Amino acid sequence: MNRYPNSEAEGGCGVVGFASTIPVKGKHIFKPASQMHNRGNGKGGGIAAVGLSHEDLGVTKSILRDDYLLHIALLDPEAQKEIEEEFITPFMDVDKSERILTVADYREIEGLETRPPDVWRYFVRVKVDVLDTFIRENQLGDRDRRKAEDEFIYQTSFTINTRFYASLGEKRAFVLSHGRNMLILKIVGYAENIVKYYKLEDFRAHVWIAHQRYPTKGKVWHPGGAHPFIGMHEALVHNGDFANYHSVVEYLEQRGRHPLFLTDTEVAVLLFDLLNRKYNYPLEYIIEAMAPTTELDFDRLPPEKQEIYHAIQTSHLHGSPDGPWFFIIARNEPYEDYFQLIGITDTSMLRPQVFALVEDEDVQIGLIASEKQAIDATLESLSEEDKRVPSVADKYWNARGGSYTDGGAFIFTVRWDERKTLVCTNKFGEMVKIPKSKMHCDCTLPIILPPDNVKQRERIEVALKSPHKFFEFLKRGVKEWDCNTLRSTIAELTTYAKEDERKKAIVIEGLTLLNDRRYDTGNRKRSSVVQIIKEALHKIFDETPPLEVKRIGIYHLIHWSNKDSLRSPERDEDILIVNVAKFPPEGEGSIARLFVKAYQMGWKKFIVYNAQGQRFFGSGLGPHTTGVRIDVYDSPGDYLGSSMDGAEIYIHGDGQDQLGQILKNGKLVVFGDVGQTFMYGAKGGEAYVLGNTAGRPLINAVGRPRVVINGTCLDYLAESFMAGDPLNGGGFVVVNGLESDAKGNLREQDTPYPGSNLFSLASGGAIYIRDPHSKLVDELLNGGEFSMLTPADWELILPYLKENERLFGISVENDLLVVNGDKKTPQEVYRKIKPEKIPLLVACNEEDD
Amino acid sequence: MTGITIKCAPSRFPNEIYEVEVKRDLYKCINCGTCAKVCPFGVHERKPGYNRISKPVSYLCIGTSCEDKPFYCVAQCHRKALSLEKSPNYWTIGDYRWTRDLILGTWKQAETGIPLKGRRYEIGNSGGGFDRMFFNFPEEDVKDKVEEEAISTEIDLNKRGGKKISIKVPFYGGGMSFGSVSLSVMVARAKAARTVGTFTCTGEGGFPEELRVKIVEFKYAQGAKPGLGGHLLGDKVTPEVARMREAIPGTSLFSPFPFHSVYSVEDHKKHVDWIKEINPDAIVSVKVSTPKDVDMVAVGSYYAGAHIIHIDGSYGGTGAAPEIAKKNIAMPIEYAIPIVHEFLKEEGLRDKMTVIASGGIRTAHDAAKAIALGADGVVIGTAELVALGCVRCGNCESGRGCPRGIATTDPELARAVDVKWGAQRLINLYAAWKCAIVDILKRFEMRSVKELVGRYDCLTQVDYHTEGMNS
Repeated sequence: MNRYPNSEAEGGCGVVGFASTIPVKGKHIFKPASQMHNRGNGKGGGIAAVGLSHEDLGVTKSILRDDYLLHIALLDPEAQKEIEEEFITPFMDVDKSERILTVADYREIEGLETRPPDVWRYFVRVKVDVLDTFIRENQLGDRDRRKAEDEFIYQTSFTINTRFYASLGEKRAFVLSHGRNMLILKIVGYAENIVKYYKLEDFRAHVWIAHQRYPTKGKVWHPGGAHPFIGMHEALVHNGDFANYHSVVEYLEQRGRHPLFLTDTEVAVLLFDLLNRKYNYPLEYIIEAMAPTTELDFDRLPPEKQEIYHAIQTSHLHGSPDGPWFFIIARNEPYEDYFQLIGITDTSMLRPQVFALVEDEDVQIGLIASEKQAIDATLESLSEEDKRVPSVADKYWNARGGSYTDGGAFIFTVRWDERKTLVCTNKFGEMVKIPKSKMHCDCTLPIILPPDNVKQRERIEVALKSPHKFFEFLKRGVKEWDCNTLRSTIAELTTYAKEDERKKAIVIEGLTLLNDRRYDTGNRKRSSVVQIIKEALHKIFDETPPLEVKRIGIYHLIHWSNKDSLRSPERDEDILIVNVAKFPPEGEGSIARLFVKAYQMGWKKFIVYNAQGQRFFGSGLGPHTTGVRIDVYDSPGDYLGSSMDGAEIYIHGDGQDQLGQILKNGKLVVFGDVGQTFMYGAKGGEAYVLGNTAGRPLINAVGRPRVVINGTCLDYLAESFMAGDPLNGGGFVVVNGLESDAKGNLREQDTPYPGSNLFSLASGGAIYIRDPHSKLVDELLNGGEFSMLTPADWELILPYLKENERLFGISVENDLLVVNGDKKTPQEVYRKIKPEKIPLLVACNEEDD
Repeated sequence: MTGITIKCAPSRFPNEIYEVEVKRDLYKCINCGTCAKVCPFGVHERKPGYNRISKPVSYLCIGTSCEDKPFYCVAQCHRKALSLEKSPNYWTIGDYRWTRDLILGTWKQAETGIPLKGRRYEIGNSGGGFDRMFFNFPEEDVKDKVEEEAISTEIDLNKRGGKKISIKVPFYGGGMSFGSVSLSVMVARAKAARTVGTFTCTGEGGFPEELRVKIVEFKYAQGAKPGLGGHLLGDKVTPEVARMREAIPGTSLFSPFPFHSVYSVEDHKKHVDWIKEINPDAIVSVKVSTPKDVDMVAVGSYYAGAHIIHIDGSYGGTGAAPEIAKKNIAMPIEYAIPIVHEFLKEEGLRDKMTVIASGGIRTAHDAAKAIALGADGVVIGTAELVALGCVRCGNCESGRGCPRGIATTDPELARAVDVKWGAQRLINLYAAWKCAIVDILKRFEMRSVKELVGRYDCLTQVDYHTEGMNS
């Protein structure tokens, strides 16, 4: 075998996965996979399903539980007979075998250019006497017999793959999966077409993962190279591209594992299998071996952990994948009766990842994806079919790779018992919890008009005098009213919005405030409230007269079907409401381009809703866009607001990655979290973020950006910041390190900054961080130094904190300057971090020659 | 001859460095004026109304190649008063890559617009790379077979369909940011490029309002700056620089490496989409160093939407990186070009993508060799600065270090380069290069520089083959 195989070029991809306590049909993987088309290039896609339905497969419950489900892809139909004769019939009892049903002609499926392989499915057990011989010959007598059987199957698959899919020979067939109660399918095409071609729309499973591949080598694509890859009972998909593929291959070969498919992803799962099945490591140690804890995070571990992690790293560092990677693993653990969905990110967090959790009485779902919009798409799809599922998750978050806080990994575990439950834990086994006392609003129930309906209407009329009054009215209602009253009241509002535009404006603003602010939602889940508001706003926007209808009025609706009717506005204050659904994520026909055209025609005010990952909103408008205001709802995609020069963008929800990149001037307000590289290379402008940012915010920013982040940042905040002296016109970032509790009150997060690198290599600018308990240490800094807040500093940041207060309701006097109930001075609460002065890096003032 | 108007643009310095010192023994000289009459280059002058011959203008002398000519002043002088010697300051410049002859030769071409013949003006002394490969011209005399005017040196930068963007010569200027060089140098480069029908690159430092951007270059890496971005130290961040880069004066600026939002090929595609969103008409060039998998990068860039793949090898120059980094990285460009060329051919993409090579392209011959190895064209950097009078002293990074006023934004030093003069020097250089390339094409009976692409058979590598070396 080739000593140094040329690995196939890998690197790009989109991954998504979810685990649910209720069985989910295949069609629900369709939407998120297709919305991540721009992360793949259609040259490879794959799905895996775990926790299947025995009825859908046509076998008994016990066969599904105990048999190995072999999926063999046949590129050459002749190979089937050979494989059966040599590997299956002599050694295995076959309980069922069949060709998986497919669509008659693959060309019927749009976008599918290569015929997917025929797949034969076998339910097998190893023959008893064959297994006895195997155990004896390999001295596995001391093992659990079932585990020896696992190994037999594993080796059989390996042999089949070597013989029928050898890298140097003709590719005739290969084993897609062989685990119990799980299956994998892969094609040369987009992942969702697997669902169409192999007719899995109604096929049910508890765990699904999908992968859109972006390979760059080879003209003829083979399905074998697509993800997922198998260990024993696990399927792994991977986004990224490690640099030390050869080193990991060497490491595996020294331990008797030989990769076959020439991609780095395969070695990742081989590594997992080695550590899991051979060394019997608990999951925590497997994760540590793959993504070791280092630097400041290592120092913060308790001593017992440090000892064991040190031992793990010493033994396994050379097998640790190096470079950008994010893994999603779907697995069946038949020996402990559970299914799992695991997401692990590399230590430097170079790939984007989002986790989400839905926890209701009836249903719990865990979700993982490369982009938040894929998660939202999944939930939308699920909730359309089953109203028990909300369309908004209860919690969204990012993992911090190699950290002492979560270990860069989160695991969703679904137990097999009768009453399925889903539990979310991090690497250390600590549970992620949603406050249990909160209830989900059951939106499947019909709305009944409450008895005091008439009085309620009167109250609404009164409240509609001003947006703020209205917001207060609704806020109180959310806390006090029952679900039915809440739903009916909000439904009523859509009628008011139709009456006249003044009321419409107030309703929109009031509902938006209700969506954006954090307050006590009583015993109701916040996610339910958000979902109800979202549906109401959508209805109001949908019912706006379309653009081509000429009338007096400031609201005009444009969407995919009437986009060609785009014309200039009658008045400056006219607002263009844009329904983004169906617009492609980028390119000539994209919503970003439509924006540019509309702006050039004179539109200045936009409301954008139903975004599903479309990218580049607000980019390409050109210079000097002061006076433009864009309000964005739902799930916008990456690069929103990049290169902005004067406009104002308000995001009523979370932002994704590369928000505000190279922003020059203008205002960005986010009523939620943002993703990676927020304001990368920004040169100015103001930004306010209610929640947290992921990795690398404001990296390499220059000039004078002024930012307030009320939550915290995952890591690498303001690395290489070059924003001059803030007291002399330069830029700065204020970090408050706060979050909302279940009652909507503000509280401090565990630490104002959980990362290991703060303000590294910066040559200008400053960070003002709220750290009243001095939790931050010098080891976090690299080229920066702590200093006391001066009156000049406070005078500088106060106006921004006041604006922050106006936008989010976070009070300077009562929230920011209060610690444990006591009022403090700014100096006691905020610390300044500024660059160390190194003469070489800063211009010298003396006249020299 | 080349369609480009050349005009003499001599050095700004009265005592420029030159090769040959023309010595006159004043005891022997009788001021007869014969030398002034015979020398066609103006080395000797006898001004009207003066008794004595003026001091020889040594730098105009063509040196020993004059020996067999009837106007050789040394032979013509009855009194044997003249002699030629290597000038002492000839020895002060030059290194293995840019030999003193290459430097002086570039100056000469920038002054006159005429290419210089002779090995020493075509080859450096690095002991490898382009210095060990030569064109193996066919024996026959092709003087009249192909008309020079009919030979095209035009190349296309956009082969993907859409608006056709081509340049008249197979090279354009590489990125040098405002701040690393002065405004007059930038504008001179832009004017020259426009006159000749090619482009120049602004580098990472922003650009003056007048220059309209047609191509956006993503510099993922530069061969000469491994693992780093460019460093513009605080000293060089003058208020003008700061204004253009929207930064604060006096603060050091570190160009990021890597692009922190691009860690994977789909991120790169997203990045290209982003640029196309901001300027849908721009074509995209991806500039990368030469790692082992440079071929994959090329293909990946194509699928991500790029028009040009620009590979930058390790011989390139930079004034903007720390000492330790400046020379020791990436694959030599002569290896990388054929790898990318062949791989794109295998993938069926070669005619859809433009391959540009850079990193130490010093002469028209280096450029032609790069094209013969598989590139469509080249990008030049140092060669342009040398044309403006750079002596390669290596003091670029300090604000007031450049003795020629090129790599500085100090208002006083920068006055040494006048925009008109600078532009003409570059125009002359481009004209000389174009002429040299046409000459090479003519000898191979090719009608266009596009025919030379990937013609390895036209080259001989001397260390592995010793026959077939023609001149």
